[in-house]
Amino acid sequence: MSAITVRNLHKTFQAKHKAAGLQGSLRALWKPEWQMVEAVRDLSFDMEDGELLGFIGPNGAGKSTTIKILTGILHPTGGDVSVLGYVPWQQRRDLAYQIGSVFGQRPQLWYHLPAIDTFYLFGKIYELDDKTIRQRIGFLTEAFEIQDLLETPVRKLSLGQRMRCEVAASLLHKPRLILLDEPSIGLDVVAKQRIRDTIKRMNEVENVGVLLTSHDAGDIEALCKRVIIVNHGQIIYQDKVSALKRSYLTSKQVDVRYAQPLPDNFQVAGAEILKAGQYGIKLRFDTRITPVEAVLTQLATAGELVDVTISDPSLEEVIRTIYQQADASPARRAANGEVARERV
Amino acid sequence: MSKYWAVFKTQLLNNFAYAGDLAAGSVMIVLFLWIFAQLWKVTYSAVGTERIAGLSRQDTLWYLMLAEVIVLSKPRLARTIAQQVRDGSVAYLLNKPYHFLLYQCSVGLGDSVLRIVTNTLMGGAVVWLLVGPPPNPQGWPLVFVTVVLAWLLDFCITAMIGLAAFITEEVRAFEWIYQKILFILGGLLIPLDFYPSWLQTIAKATPFAYTLYGPARLFVEPSLLRFGEVVLGQVVWLAILAGLLTFFYQRGVTRLAINGG
Amino acid sequence: MTSFQREFRFLLALWKANLLAAMEYRGAFLLQVVGMILNNAIYFVFWILFFQRFQQVRGWKLDDMLLLFSVVATGFGLATFFFGNAVSLCEVITEGRLDYYLSLPRPVLMHVLASGSVASGMGDFTYGLLSFVVAGHFGIDAIGRFLLGSFLAIIVFLAVLVIAHSTAFWLGNANVLAAQVTNAMITFALYPITLFDGTAKFLLFTLLPAAFVGAVPAEFVRAFSWRVLGQMLGATLIFLVLALVIFHRGLRHYESGSAIQTQV
Repeated sequence: MSAITVRNLHKTFQAKHKAAGLQGSLRALWKPEWQMVEAVRDLSFDMEDGELLGFIGPNGAGKSTTIKILTGILHPTGGDVSVLGYVPWQQRRDLAYQIGSVFGQRPQLWYHLPAIDTFYLFGKIYELDDKTIRQRIGFLTEAFEIQDLLETPVRKLSLGQRMRCEVAASLLHKPRLILLDEPSIGLDVVAKQRIRDTIKRMNEVENVGVLLTSHDAGDIEALCKRVIIVNHGQIIYQDKVSALKRSYLTSKQVDVRYAQPLPDNFQVAGAEILKAGQYGIKLRFDTRITPVEAVLTQLATAGELVDVTISDPSLEEVIRTIYQQADASPARRAANGEVARERV
Repeated sequence: MSKYWAVFKTQLLNNFAYAGDLAAGSVMIVLFLWIFAQLWKVTYSAVGTERIAGLSRQDTLWYLMLAEVIVLSKPRLARTIAQQVRDGSVAYLLNKPYHFLLYQCSVGLGDSVLRIVTNTLMGGAVVWLLVGPPPNPQGWPLVFVTVVLAWLLDFCITAMIGLAAFITEEVRAFEWIYQKILFILGGLLIPLDFYPSWLQTIAKATPFAYTLYGPARLFVEPSLLRFGEVVLGQVVWLAILAGLLTFFYQRGVTRLAINGG
Repeated sequence: MTSFQREFRFLLALWKANLLAAMEYRGAFLLQVVGMILNNAIYFVFWILFFQRFQQVRGWKLDDMLLLFSVVATGFGLATFFFGNAVSLCEVITEGRLDYYLSLPRPVLMHVLASGSVASGMGDFTYGLLSFVVAGHFGIDAIGRFLLGSFLAIIVFLAVLVIAHSTAFWLGNANVLAAQVTNAMITFALYPITLFDGTAKFLLFTLLPAAFVGAVPAEFVRAFSWRVLGQMLGATLIFLVLALVIFHRGLRHYESGSAIQTQV
């Protein structure tokens, strides 16, 4: 069953346009110029029950706007949306019992109170009886390892600690689906990893669906099976994360170091040299044109090898490539994964 | 001195950027004065005499206008200083090569100047429309001098309230109470002349009367003698309050140093 | 459980959370309460002095003034203490903080308003009670009328604040407008209604309904009248419905703040 169905979603904002300076301000006061900003244009996608779906794109791509429409916070300008069978902006409250949400930049825990107080308040909000909420808090504090943090006022927690409490709070009412908007923003590497691990575990244990937006490819790589890449309010790619890597990770990078100095104009057939030094060389090649073996053979015959490193480009780089391709296409038309891949 | 002038000028320019808010802010003075005009119209006609305690209706309203201008143009100094103490930004202000209090004074003046102008224009326009022209313009320069001194008196008191933030986190309560005492003993809502005589004596012995009543009364009945009295009282109180302020400031700074140590 | 009971239980839970948050800063809380009581009391000295000299303003006497202050202070105090976000709703809207309330399964407006508390409101409320006691209307019926009058005043206060702040949905920055409306409401409510006639009086019953948070309920506390009761109930209903309609219309315009601010 589909947890989320989105068809031809549009959202246009009206923004006041103002010329610079005092003069511009005065003019805007008399005669405001309105500018239409299309935050989301013609978005369609589906998400299965219990799926881990990543939504990725740069700032202003329309990720947050989409999530906010899915939770019923924003009314769309056009299109159809169904989340767990509800139309979010019409059945906001019924839907809210079934989903949880975390907005990384907007805390939901009461700032001056210990998290446990907000947890109990949430129990009231979701109308859980005292016994259920106590059990649930017990379960979640263990899963998120936040036993020691519960009694401390939220303002005294670190960002990473607070975020773990935030995500736990969004799971109190056993939602079927959680929507996470930039849950890892501003966190350090260790804190990020901890959040990712717990989210993944909750998905496995309770089969809760996770829709996650991020501009950090690492989140998606660690968590999601499937990814949707948006830019300028449109989907420019959607497929499995593994397929994304397979189709884009066609180039390899090799770093080699030798015991003796290399000849001056050393070349490897079928590979591009990125950097050449006296004892080492860094090069890149496309595995579909030049087999790995051919490159390695050439390198091995050139001298006595001390060290070899072969690496894939990071997902980050892959995504950057996709953005560039989407931006470079003249009409910048909506392209799904298939089309994007054909162009490579 | 030039650096304080620069601080003042920057703050003044900064306020120009919020011209809209400023204009909206002067709606309040229009509202108050309009209500006062109704109140005194009814009261004067009920009493049935031309003058009450020597003041005509016209005098009373012009008096109230000047008092309101002084009160509504004050900077929110106590709150600002308290905020700076609480969020620690006071540390940046303290270790700069200027005197903290003179700096606050320049900032405050920069905040007030525009408001004094807009409030005077708007308030003056309303009162003129409702009861007729303002008092003798020859007295205006004298009034201006006393308004500046009144501003400084208020500065000393609000700065002291702000410094209380070194000791207690919450200073708004003190600000409210000072404000209301100023209203009553300064004669913001009724001229002190209408008070029972025992209260007049008490009120006129406080610095509050020199902040509001002094300049406002001079405005409606200018004379060199009155000017001399007002300025003398203001200068004496200013000496006392400035002394107290400096004393509390030095105490406060040592306290802060201990806290930070 | 009826839905009314459910929402009321939730409201109680919110108030409990507010109380816990206030107790984190007990000293500051108490200072604000006491400060606000003194603030109001000193301000009232003006009217004592005024009436000592002039006896009355077109039939209004010191006693009317005490009742007026008791109703206004009680109404405003309880409104801001229990529904504290009513005075900062426009910031909640423009900063995109409505997201939180919209993502939870509760009536948005009630949830927003009751999620904040203004400590000095408790001081205003206490002052209102004191003023009522000093006015000396101790009959059980007078107390009943005081309770009902204050309760309706709270609703009208909140309704007007919500309407003023909801303009933020369309205007963006509505801080100044909302602050001016609040100030004007309180200012006009605290003067004898007999001062105003003609257009001014009409406006105080309609566009800026200060009469319904001050003079009208105060008159009702003084003496029962079906006419005044009808006026109060009618006005409360109208402003309440207006506030709900405007706020919910506004929600459709809600832009969730940062989503668009970072983009343009």
